[in-house]
Amino acid sequence: MPLAQSVKTTTPAVIRLAKLGKTIDDRPILRELDFEVASGEFVAILGSNGAGKSTLLKILATLTPPSSGELHLFDQKIDRTTASIRARIGMIGHQSMLYGELTAKENLHFFAKLYGVKSPSSRANEMLQTVGLLDRADDPVKAFSRGMTQRVAIARALLHDPQLLLADEPFAGLDEASSRSLEGLLSLLNQSGKTIVLVNHDVRQTLALARRVMVLRAGRKVIDALAGELTVEIVLDAMNGAVLARPVGADIGADVRPEGPVQ
Amino acid sequence: MTPAIRQFITLIGKDLRIEARSRQTLGLVVVLGLLIIVVLGLGLGVQNNVPGVSATAVLWVAYLFSGVLCFEKTMAVERSDGVLSGLLMAPMDRGVIYLAKLTSNLILVFAVAMVVTPAGVLFFGFDLSAAPLTFATIMGLSIIGFTSVGTLFSAIVSSTRLQGGLLAMMVFPITLPLVIASTQMMVQTFRDRNPVGVSSLGILFAFDLIFLTASWLVFEFVLEP
Repeated sequence: MPLAQSVKTTTPAVIRLAKLGKTIDDRPILRELDFEVASGEFVAILGSNGAGKSTLLKILATLTPPSSGELHLFDQKIDRTTASIRARIGMIGHQSMLYGELTAKENLHFFAKLYGVKSPSSRANEMLQTVGLLDRADDPVKAFSRGMTQRVAIARALLHDPQLLLADEPFAGLDEASSRSLEGLLSLLNQSGKTIVLVNHDVRQTLALARRVMVLRAGRKVIDALAGELTVEIVLDAMNGAVLARPVGADIGADVRPEGPVQ
Repeated sequence: MTPAIRQFITLIGKDLRIEARSRQTLGLVVVLGLLIIVVLGLGLGVQNNVPGVSATAVLWVAYLFSGVLCFEKTMAVERSDGVLSGLLMAPMDRGVIYLAKLTSNLILVFAVAMVVTPAGVLFFGFDLSAAPLTFATIMGLSIIGFTSVGTLFSAIVSSTRLQGGLLAMMVFPITLPLVIASTQMMVQTFRDRNPVGVSSLGILFAFDLIFLTASWLVFEFVLEP
């Protein structure tokens, strides 16, 4: 199977992109992306800086609309007014998306109410317990270390029990122990049936963590394969645009030459 | 209670809680408003040379600059640590975010006006006793229109790198009709001693309605994380 072709999915698609493109200031960021992500999959997106990874995740999070093509989430075509679908999506970013002035519990309570979670207060406590910060519930988030803040951010993303979890560079700035802990949590969440789309820059970590890996270059998908079929070298070559030493069945070269400026 | 109303109240509660805890916006904005009154008052010559009606123009300058600073600060809270993305991902109409932010800004701007206005009135010896309710109605309606536009443009400007002054440049020209209309009504009320009719106040109300509706409709499309 050519590595740039989409991995075939057998379960219902949570995400479906058709010829999706994004242009910002006349510069193409994403170009004609086609792929599906099935329910329960753990997909990682890799790429060099400016490859379009974060923009793709923002589109999947309904934070910004595509410029062309179609996006379907949970079999529903997404447009700007699709609010209800967001209740099924959670997002962890490299930014915490938390108010520093509010305590950990106040932040979770606030977001729980926005999401219409029943018993927001007890749910906030439950999530703080899950991430091991119940004893710091009443401390302002601005007083937390990066690792602790990220744990609260994870609690916020999971408050409403989303079916699709988007993670944009969630390991950024974390120490080794926090990274391991987050890896374990993501695996656990995936095993519990959540669909995960992870944007990351650490190739080795990604190949060990995700089941399926996509590589973007200059807004194009140049690899879409099971993680077990890839090596760090193949991925790095695809990210950097080198002539690839092809593994068995791979046919990447024709697809990877970028058109237009590489951001 | 509908989800939208619950979300609206939750958003305002969060804004006020953050403000009560940090006291960053209100303290700064009140000081700026008072400084404008004092500086312009001293520059123009207190009481002797400033007719009462002109004092309303000075008050307007204080409201405008304090208001713009207030809008910038309250929107900056949403921009730090990517919080705006978190809000935009919540399952709610983005118009609710606008209405909540507008209400929070109105509470803050009216709080500033409650301090700055008496200071200006005392400083300039502006006799409001002829029509205090008219004064409050004119200024109240004007502040609502100004804050409607300011809240929208603060969201636009906060997503660009061109902050610091740009908001004032965008908001002041748009609010000019409100400033002119309200100042003319003050002249009519306090200099000519001619009561302002409902139709005149209707003009301010119409401005508010147009500004508020247009801003609410457009807000979703200008809000980029």
